[in-house]
Amino acid sequence: MSLSDLLAMLPILILAFGATAILMAGAWYREPLPLLAGGIVTALLGALSAGLVTPPVPEIAGLFSAGGYARFYTILWSLLAAAGLMTGSRYIIEKRIGAGEYVSLVLYAAAGMALLSSATHLVGLFIALETFTLAFYILIASNRNCALAAEAGLKYLLLGAVATGFMAFGIALIYAASGSLVLPDAVMRLKAETGELQAWGLLGWGMILIAVGFKISLAPFHLWTPDVYQGAPAPVTGLLATGSKGAVVAALVGLLAMSGPVWNDLTDLVWLLAALTMLAGAFGALGQSNLKRLLAYSSVTHMGTLLVGVLCQTSEGFAATTFYVVVYVVTSLGAFAVIASLADGRGEPMTFDQWRGLGYRHPVRCGVLVLLLLSLAGLPATAGFMAKFAVFHAALQSGYIGLLMIGILASVISFAFYLRVTMLLFQPDEKASSWHQGSVFEHTVLAVCSSAVLVLGLFPGLLFGLIRQILP
Amino acid sequence: MNAFANLPQFPWMSLLIMIPLCGALLCLLHGKRTNDCRGLALATALATFGVALYLFVCHGQGSERWLLYEDVNWIPAYGIRYVLAMDGIALLMVLLTAFMQISAVLLAWRVERHVGSFFALLLLLESGLMGIFLAYDLVLFYLFWEVALIPMFFLISVWGGEQRRRTALKFFLYTLIGSLCMLVAIIALYQINGAQTGAYTLVIGDLLKTQLTAAQEGWLFAGFLAAFVVKSPLVPFHTWLTDALTEAPAAGSLDLTGLLLKTGIYGLIRVAFPLFPNATADFLPILGILALVGLFHAAWSAYHQDDIKRLLAYSSISHLGLVLLGLAAWQLTAWEGSILLMVTHGITTGALFVLVALIRERTGTRSMQELGGLWGQAPCLSALFLLFSLASLGLPGLANFAGEILVLLGTFQEHPVWAVVALLGVVFAAAYMLRLVQGVIWGPAKAERTLPDLTMREWLMLLPMAILVVWLGLYPAPFLAPLHGAVATLLAGGLP
Repeated sequence: MSLSDLLAMLPILILAFGATAILMAGAWYREPLPLLAGGIVTALLGALSAGLVTPPVPEIAGLFSAGGYARFYTILWSLLAAAGLMTGSRYIIEKRIGAGEYVSLVLYAAAGMALLSSATHLVGLFIALETFTLAFYILIASNRNCALAAEAGLKYLLLGAVATGFMAFGIALIYAASGSLVLPDAVMRLKAETGELQAWGLLGWGMILIAVGFKISLAPFHLWTPDVYQGAPAPVTGLLATGSKGAVVAALVGLLAMSGPVWNDLTDLVWLLAALTMLAGAFGALGQSNLKRLLAYSSVTHMGTLLVGVLCQTSEGFAATTFYVVVYVVTSLGAFAVIASLADGRGEPMTFDQWRGLGYRHPVRCGVLVLLLLSLAGLPATAGFMAKFAVFHAALQSGYIGLLMIGILASVISFAFYLRVTMLLFQPDEKASSWHQGSVFEHTVLAVCSSAVLVLGLFPGLLFGLIRQILP
Repeated sequence: MNAFANLPQFPWMSLLIMIPLCGALLCLLHGKRTNDCRGLALATALATFGVALYLFVCHGQGSERWLLYEDVNWIPAYGIRYVLAMDGIALLMVLLTAFMQISAVLLAWRVERHVGSFFALLLLLESGLMGIFLAYDLVLFYLFWEVALIPMFFLISVWGGEQRRRTALKFFLYTLIGSLCMLVAIIALYQINGAQTGAYTLVIGDLLKTQLTAAQEGWLFAGFLAAFVVKSPLVPFHTWLTDALTEAPAAGSLDLTGLLLKTGIYGLIRVAFPLFPNATADFLPILGILALVGLFHAAWSAYHQDDIKRLLAYSSISHLGLVLLGLAAWQLTAWEGSILLMVTHGITTGALFVLVALIRERTGTRSMQELGGLWGQAPCLSALFLLFSLASLGLPGLANFAGEILVLLGTFQEHPVWAVVALLGVVFAAAYMLRLVQGVIWGPAKAERTLPDLTMREWLMLLPMAILVVWLGLYPAPFLAPLHGAVATLLAGGLP
């Protein structure tokens, strides 16, 4: 590994070494605020270095790419980590959770996500995936006095282990069939003379698809999602719902964009997964009476829509998917940040009874929540609409009219349950109690998320232009 | 020295959209100071009306294809542009919107709960409506189409009557299903056109040149129709409207019937008909028959209502049936009549909704069984009620008559049978309106009440409407003049 390799890895190094330093410091120094500030600064530095330092080599040690696409996601996940630390600040102070551990875990997770999005080698992919999954096992159950959180942590651990098994087995099969672990060679060599995937390769891809299905909760592998989202503390859920899923999708898009149409044998299967996921999420959310569970099902629907974009396998589809990931991350993070900012000694407001009439107690934050929910639903003038427009456009271009119709149906149902929440917020109810006023950190995150939703909705051209430049 | 020659023209139309939007934001920010909000909303509505009136007076008589046109590149990655265009039809709709909005703000004066938010939503609605009437790029049109939906949803769900939440959701989902079908059709049309020309665009004027097969045209037309027919509302897609009109707060019902319903018909005229001329030709007979069915069905239902607000809701559907019939006739006079009738219906029915709200405020009821004998208790209010009722049933010399007679005359030239049947429908209108008048202002008073007559604010609301109703009935020419060229080009199927 040469100096130029190290320079290309600078953002990851900053995140990883910063995390380690904070972990060490946390062992002796228990004051949470300076550690948090250190974590936020580290994350921002990581983002800054990814944006400003031009890497001298295109690839690091043959494992990870250092191209524009990788750096784009490194910036996104570093900023996400900073936002996650800001929304989590009050949680770790009030629950007396070791700040050093929490901060360093979030930073490790961000490093893992950044590596995953830039993986060009199956081993690199596996390592990166495990890095941030391990961090999340701990983060979810970080509140040791909460039984729900422990349950959520255990569920995530068990299913995560199963997914890891599938992933490792799939990689092994692909290696056996192609004799290579380097992407996209490994995938492209799987093709027989006829252009179809070899049987072992197909099985390997199937295994990897199942693992991905668990990670980004595609139906029918989505059943853990509502339980884990409900049990995990909202700041962690915000990271789990956005980063851990977005990074996997980013890796998938990066891989497919490099290797060309290798999915042709899998198209029907992925079609079915996407359709099932959109519908399962939408119908699942209809019956919920707990906002965090509802957001969990909503994230399932969104993953289905994302899969439609991936399925297209055109540059149009990849650009749409990437845009969708960014929009989804910003919007979903904001929604969980609203929940986190309201949390106080009683915990987080979750059930619909707790939310009823809250719009009159906390008008600004509930207004922001309404905006974010409408963006998740895909109302024009918000970022969610442009994201859906782009994905639907790509789907129609590739001829997936059936999927488009299912997507539209899911959208109608989504509007129904998002609107139910907004109506709930502004229902006159004398019993609505006041919740926490929220810290400066939390309000900053909300301001950034809501303005990003509006700016990306009204002027999406900037981001689209950038995405078209960086796609591999 | 020619530095000023290339200046773009002043963005009057953007101003029409931005003024209410800014007013809405200011109202939200000053939500605590109730009186400031009221004044602010009124000032905003007046300013918007001022701009609309200026456009009518100074730009209303142009002979160009467009009276005004604004074009800015918006999302180059997808060829989406910010294009606003105004012809005579749009001008009339804009003027109607701005005019009705003043009454809506004055009517909402008495709202007690969350005043700032109420006015903000009302103004946001106005902004969305202006956008619908002016947008000439399909994504922009779709954006405003949905933007107008959200405030109405909140107005019903927060300030509505007993059944407000169910009604609001029903209203939203009905219209949403329609508009998502439209979205699919928009994207499909965009791709077909892009594949043919190589330049992806969503500007309606450029999309007109798309070559479509008969099947494609049929499906795409159906997609657009789904959105517009639900909003119009054409029977049998009208069931959401009666509930929504009944449950909405007074100012909301006024905007809903006076303006929001017109967006569906306007969409047909501006978007669906010109884009798909062949499918339109096939569809017109169906539209004509459904319009006649709607005319009678709604008139029949109106006759059997006890709740006067519900009665007016059905009468709206019946009137809009006549408007749609005029469009289905595809004839110059009938179209001019239809568009004029849209405007006059907005004013007369709007005024009646205002009066119903005032009666409800005073007596606490909307049931005809408990009302009656209002003439003795509040003569001025009753006189205006009579005036607008007579206008609504199409009495010669008052507003609706001019539109109705043009529709019937034009339709008669193309489809004499339709016109004769429709004439019977107009007789029906007389029946239910007279029953309404009889039940509310005449007859014995059902309860001993001392009712205050109209206040200053209420006179301000109603008097301009009353003047307009008489003016439009006696001398509609100034309002027909800008229509002529626009309608002729639309009927020729080409670019407006």
